[in-house]
Amino acid sequence: MREWCVLSNKQLLGRIGQIVLVLLGISFITFALVMLSPGDPVRQMIAGNEDIVVSQQEVEALRHELGLDKPFIFQYLDWLGRAVQGDFGFSYMVKKPVIEELMHSLPATVILAVASTVFMLLVSIPAGIYSAVKHNSWFDYMVRGLTFVGVSIPNFWMGLMLLWIFGLKLGLLPIVGGRVSPETLVLPALTLGIVMAAKYTRQVRATVLEELNQDYVVGARARGMSESHILWKEVLPNAMLPLITLLGLSFGNLLGGAAVVEIVFSWPGLGYLAVQSIIYRDFQLVQGIVLWIALMYMVINLIVDISYNHLDPRLRKAGK
Amino acid sequence: MKKAAKITAALAMMGLLAFAAAGCGGDDSAKSGGAKDTVKFGVTNFADSLEPTDNFFSWVVMRYGLGECLVKFDDKMNLTPWLAESWSISDDKLTWTFKINDKAVFSNGNKVTADAVKKSIERTFEKSNRAGTFFQFDNITADGQNLIIKTQNPVPTLPGMLADPLFIIIDTSVTDRDYAKQGPICTGPYMVKEYSKAKAVMEANPNYWDGKVPFKVAEIPTIDDPNTRAMALQSGEIDMAINIASGDLQLFQDKAKYNISELASLRTVLAQINMNEGRPCHDPKVRAALISCLDRETYNKVLLKDTFITGKAPIPPSLDYGFDQLTDPNAYNVERAKQLLAEAGWKDTNNDGYVDKDGKNLELDFIYYSGRAELPLYAEATQSDAKKIGIKVNMKNIDYNVLDSIRQSGDFDLCISNILTANSGDPAVYLNWYWKTGDPQNATGYSNPEYDALSDRLAVEFDPAKRRDLMIQMQQILLNDGAGLFFGYPKTNMVSKVTLKNADIKPADYYWLTKDVAPAE
Repeated sequence: MREWCVLSNKQLLGRIGQIVLVLLGISFITFALVMLSPGDPVRQMIAGNEDIVVSQQEVEALRHELGLDKPFIFQYLDWLGRAVQGDFGFSYMVKKPVIEELMHSLPATVILAVASTVFMLLVSIPAGIYSAVKHNSWFDYMVRGLTFVGVSIPNFWMGLMLLWIFGLKLGLLPIVGGRVSPETLVLPALTLGIVMAAKYTRQVRATVLEELNQDYVVGARARGMSESHILWKEVLPNAMLPLITLLGLSFGNLLGGAAVVEIVFSWPGLGYLAVQSIIYRDFQLVQGIVLWIALMYMVINLIVDISYNHLDPRLRKAGK
Repeated sequence: MKKAAKITAALAMMGLLAFAAAGCGGDDSAKSGGAKDTVKFGVTNFADSLEPTDNFFSWVVMRYGLGECLVKFDDKMNLTPWLAESWSISDDKLTWTFKINDKAVFSNGNKVTADAVKKSIERTFEKSNRAGTFFQFDNITADGQNLIIKTQNPVPTLPGMLADPLFIIIDTSVTDRDYAKQGPICTGPYMVKEYSKAKAVMEANPNYWDGKVPFKVAEIPTIDDPNTRAMALQSGEIDMAINIASGDLQLFQDKAKYNISELASLRTVLAQINMNEGRPCHDPKVRAALISCLDRETYNKVLLKDTFITGKAPIPPSLDYGFDQLTDPNAYNVERAKQLLAEAGWKDTNNDGYVDKDGKNLELDFIYYSGRAELPLYAEATQSDAKKIGIKVNMKNIDYNVLDSIRQSGDFDLCISNILTANSGDPAVYLNWYWKTGDPQNATGYSNPEYDALSDRLAVEFDPAKRRDLMIQMQQILLNDGAGLFFGYPKTNMVSKVTLKNADIKPADYYWLTKDVAPAE
């Protein structure tokens, strides 16, 4: 039994085994869905969306060259055989190995995910806690109103508004993206962060409020403990557990890319790549991106489970 | 607890300020107003690589001022010299001779000889399946500056085909380049400094053979979102932009600040009409009634806010193929449409609002896809107007990718798409593919021996004036037969700041950053 992990060796191995099985299932389902979806990747590769007349002879020649004329199951097994050796195939769209293209877009996505999550935490935790502590005050009403608006605003609209204000009207930040730099990061991170912060602030507020109404808080007050001690040492540790789960899911989601925001800001991340690969029916690339997103969800979920051990003493005791 | 809460609130504020400060101040160099040796051009880009034989990536090689062809199209889509100063055809119509301009050099200083051109064209055929769909050659030879192409059959439009960006002339003697990122060695005014799908940085070609290159550097960011593109131009971060959305064009009406260059593209929005036996539109009177009842002018001027030119004929007015002299017998006339239906035996006998014959309502399946915003609009407008004369139109939204298979299966009455009519400057291919008897693409069942005879004459006619005349006659036949529903022709635009001159959009969609785009005097 390791101190850092509430899961036993057997449980940990079981979880890793589950991850492998789920990835296998996802890879098969994705492959089948992409194959079954309408459209011809070969025609799409040649003409894109240009409505250009393409000869059947040209289409068939390329189909054969790419091995897309083989039966579905052979294509899948071919892919799987290479994937277990670390070769996730070749992107028809960009003419590069899938893994290379993923690695190319990944840093931008990770940077955006981290920045927007940091922003979200910096805003939502203090605002949520203060709003709960000052329950039904003007600040609480303001936070509830703003977060209600925040969760209702679509990402792309928020992005365009921020571009209009900070880029066009105030001229503080660049409108043209296309590169990863501090100044091009601010607006997409704010766009994602604001919408997530609205959601998360409401969650923090509700959770802290619920804890503040628990008997142990009344008891602590009766024993004369200071309010700050009650908040920091008693309430927050208990409130963290559900919040960590939500944080894990949000971060996992962001690591899959935020397609709409990436397009509005020309941010060169995985979301943009995913949209392009779907438009071009780039099977191998779609497969690679879906597997990456699934893997991220499951790994982060595992980390969240492991982190419970540190956050909840009851689990540590149960483990011992 | 109050103190703790205040601390947390203060932390939140600090976080916000720190985050905002990270980006404040921006990048002063992003504003392009001052530097006259740099031009910044906001575009949409589909190319991951600058290898010209991959997919349609050669369009980008040409759009960014890197590559040039033997010939080019002018503003009326007539052929003009480029790397070839002249060309001629032999008496047997099988041998073309192109005289390569003696002044032409590649950006590395190597001379553009006929032999270099030969190797470039041969490489294109070797690497691209698409090349063979343009024409087949017996052999290509070089004699000094003369390039001689012998074809298997007469190819009247061969010079126009060589104007397609696929046939960009590159220096094949250079083999140690990463074409994807550096692009090939070409002859255009600019060379690649950096390239990714997100942004290209081009620099002036010091050996440019056709005059002075106006800018030292051209920065070309990809801005896919049209709203963002418009804002970038408004803010001054870019000097020119391609295809500003119709709704945003009004932001650039101030002539003291911006130039708007707008024209009809080479595209036609065409609804193919299924005329096969057993289909309602097999009857010419039904077709004529359907076309006559549609108020296409209102669709284009009102619904599409004048961003499309009203449709009439197969070939758009941007090409000089007699658009104005063609007569549409099925121009908008609702009363005539009703009369035609009655003559064809369609009457509303059960008062349900739809005409019927032999107990069946007149219903048409209209296939469309949503990838282009105008298509659902045209389909809905058709449904509404057709109802006024008793035709029930059933709209069927499909994925663009299955469009071709549905077209081939014949399971439709109307099938709309936005078609590029003259990729190589000559619309003969388009006219044959969709309407010539027996062509695999002609899935509508249309057949007219008179039309086919004109098409056969066109296949061997080399005289441009006679070709034009033949295609005008062919179009008139199609209009008389109600062989297609031509909704409109999209306009395309390029908007630039007044600090630039000659940033004009051309009918051929691959002349963007040219040597003529220069600082205004």
